Amino acid sequence: MSTDPIETLDADPLGLAPQVSRELRPCASYTLRVNGFERPVTDAWIGESLLYVLRERLGLAGAKDGCEQGECGACSVQVDGQLVAGCLVPAALAADSEINTVEGLSAAGGASDVQQALAESGAVQCGYCTPGMAMAVHDLLQRNHRPTEVEARQALCGNLCRCTGYRGVLAAVQSIADARALEAEEAEEAALAEETAAAAAEQPVEQPGAAPAEPPVEEPVAEPPVYTDAWIEHVPQPPAEEIPATVGTGHGLPYGADGQGGYDTGVYDTAVIPPVQGIPAQAAEDQVYFPQQGYPEQPYQATPAHGTYLPPGAGYPDGYPQQPGYDGGYDAPVYEPTPAHGTPVHGAAFDGTPAHGTPYVPTPPHGVPAEGSAPAGVPYGATPAHGIRLPEDDHAS
Amino acid sequence: MLPASLDEAVDALAAAPAAVPVAGATDLMEAVNAGRLRPAALIGLGRITELRGWRYEDGGTAVLGAGLTHARMDRPDFAALIPALADAARTAGPPQVRNVGTLGGNIVTAAPAGDTLPVLAALEATVTLARAGATREVPVSHLLTGLDPVRPGELLTWVRVPLLHAPQVFLKATGRSGPARATASVALVLDPARRAVRCAVGAVAPVPLRPLEAEAWVAGCIDWDGSREIDPAATAAFGEYVAAACVPDGYGAEGAWEAVTEGPSAASVRLRRTVSVLARRALGRALK
Ligand SMILES: Cc1cc2nc3c(=O)[nH]c(=O)nc-3n(C[C@H](O)[C@H](O)[C@H](O)COP(=O)(O)OP(=O)(O)OC[C@H]3O[C@@H](n4cnc5c(N)ncnc54)[C@H](O)[C@@H]3O)c2cc1C
Ligand code: FES
Ligand code: FES
Repeated sequence: MSTDPIETLDADPLGLAPQVSRELRPCASYTLRVNGFERPVTDAWIGESLLYVLRERLGLAGAKDGCEQGECGACSVQVDGQLVAGCLVPAALAADSEINTVEGLSAAGGASDVQQALAESGAVQCGYCTPGMAMAVHDLLQRNHRPTEVEARQALCGNLCRCTGYRGVLAAVQSIADARALEAEEAEEAALAEETAAAAAEQPVEQPGAAPAEPPVEEPVAEPPVYTDAWIEHVPQPPAEEIPATVGTGHGLPYGADGQGGYDTGVYDTAVIPPVQGIPAQAAEDQVYFPQQGYPEQPYQATPAHGTYLPPGAGYPDGYPQQPGYDGGYDAPVYEPTPAHGTPVHGAAFDGTPAHGTPYVPTPPHGVPAEGSAPAGVPYGATPAHGIRLPEDDHAS
Repeated sequence: MLPASLDEAVDALAAAPAAVPVAGATDLMEAVNAGRLRPAALIGLGRITELRGWRYEDGGTAVLGAGLTHARMDRPDFAALIPALADAARTAGPPQVRNVGTLGGNIVTAAPAGDTLPVLAALEATVTLARAGATREVPVSHLLTGLDPVRPGELLTWVRVPLLHAPQVFLKATGRSGPARATASVALVLDPARRAVRCAVGAVAPVPLRPLEAEAWVAGCIDWDGSREIDPAATAAFGEYVAAACVPDGYGAEGAWEAVTEGPSAASVRLRRTVSVLARRALGRALK
């Protein structure tokens, strides 16, 4: 960083601009290394945050400005491999650091597994928190391949989401960890199989470890890429029913329809936007839930004409309850009290609103695992959640 | 500018006394973003690796670098040395802030809710302040109370903390369950060699407060030679004692006049309850 010598402000010959001298507004020029690309920044005020420089000077609008106070985590980026709040990093002092932003996650155009999992687990509504959340999840899984739920909660406690809540994100963390573990296992198995095959043949076979034989090609310093929206694999929908032209005019697609039938509320629907060039539209079958169209067919039987004599129990469509005759006695229905508020009628309990009268259990402090699963040595009470000790650093007896 | 050594940094600061030293920038950039600070120049301390670790000194003292981050202090090796400081560092903000926020920045900012401050006060730590060609040693309490503040052109370099090899506790009450600043905090350390209990209450006043009488009283209630047990009633009384000593009757009231005429304010009653619970629990855990 070098502070420029004081210059005269002759860009404003009429002197209308507020005269802020260079002494009050010292500027610097420097180069940031963002996602592996050198990005020069010229003549920027030294008080500008990394978040501001990324968004306003370098056009990387992935990191979001939620609060500028370090409270919300929407601006999370990695500096030298550490998760930080971009709004609290003076950009001029990050000049010789390695900066990674959310744009770097999807550098190849396709969403990274983290972004894909966040979209699939329903962790996105307005999406404002999502880039920061994606960076926090990415950072967590870099450091810890198998985070427990408590560890995941602690890692994400600096990222606020005002729409969705955190369940989807926590589910995404577990699904990515599972998927990566499976991948690693498969790779290991494949390597092992190859090794045993090689041993059986007693032939020197190229070891899988030596696979990247050709030396890593030094990439020429390329132009920084123009980042587009990350491509989330589209969840395919069955084709729309043709709406007959006679059905009326003035109807466009119903609100929320994606033009291919069905209402797509879960995933950001890229199908209505022409796909970014060069990226194939993906279509994975049979992982779709699509609600049935129309009503199930049921034989309709007209009410018999008024006055038609029907003997008791006869003449009704199949399945209609048998009517007792008048002399059959009155069968009082069993009185069933209205179920308590929130009581599920059938099936699994809705775990949102608890049944009326459920004893109040205060929300556990942040990061406390569900009952009984607390790791030994977890303090209770006043020490807040992100202060929970992990088992390995349980130093205090 | 990013000096790579302490000497370079103090020289740079001597050359440009208006420049602002920047450690983790978590407090500094908050002020800049809010328009409360317009730095004339920045001197980044992040590349001074010697300040990012700690060393030991004769006489059972650890010398901590001002550039130790909260995340570093939370790690098990450090926590085994000074458990209360590790506990404080663990709760000082979200991970994004603890990854870069430093011990030195926490002390120089001297916010009422600074979490390491009551711990350092209870440990009776001293700090080293360096300027070009000279250093001086100041008790952390003198620094915080403004008795002997950081002078222009000085850098906080080291924090000397005694290693007590006895239980230490830091507890903090916050307004929400996530990472948040303390509404009250208590640090309590045992010093078996001197048969002393040292306690400091944070966040209830501009600086951490030491309830010296309560400390002396409770030290006399402990069976130091035996199992270090204490009557639960004494623990509870200690909590009340600490709370009464640290929270004035007029806490939160408009003026002193009101306090005199109306007894303890509602705010002071509430805060005393919080402090007394924290102090009682802290003592209970230290003597467990
Ligand atoms: C969202 C959020 C939550 C937070 N929560 C907490 C919390 O719960 N508890 C808590 O205690 N704090 C909290 N903080 C405050 C902050 O993180 C800490 O005070 C941190 O320790 C500051 O360290 P820093 O390295 O970032 O200081 P900086 O911001 O770099 O510096 C702060 C001040 O100290 C000066 N300074 C720094 N280092 C030196 C040095 N070596 N010599 C001389 N002067 C120096 C700087 O010039 C500046 O004036 C929070 C902050 C944020 C943004
Ligand atoms: S904008 Fe940086 S944490 Fe909110
Ligand atoms: S999705 Fe809107 S804030 Fe998280």
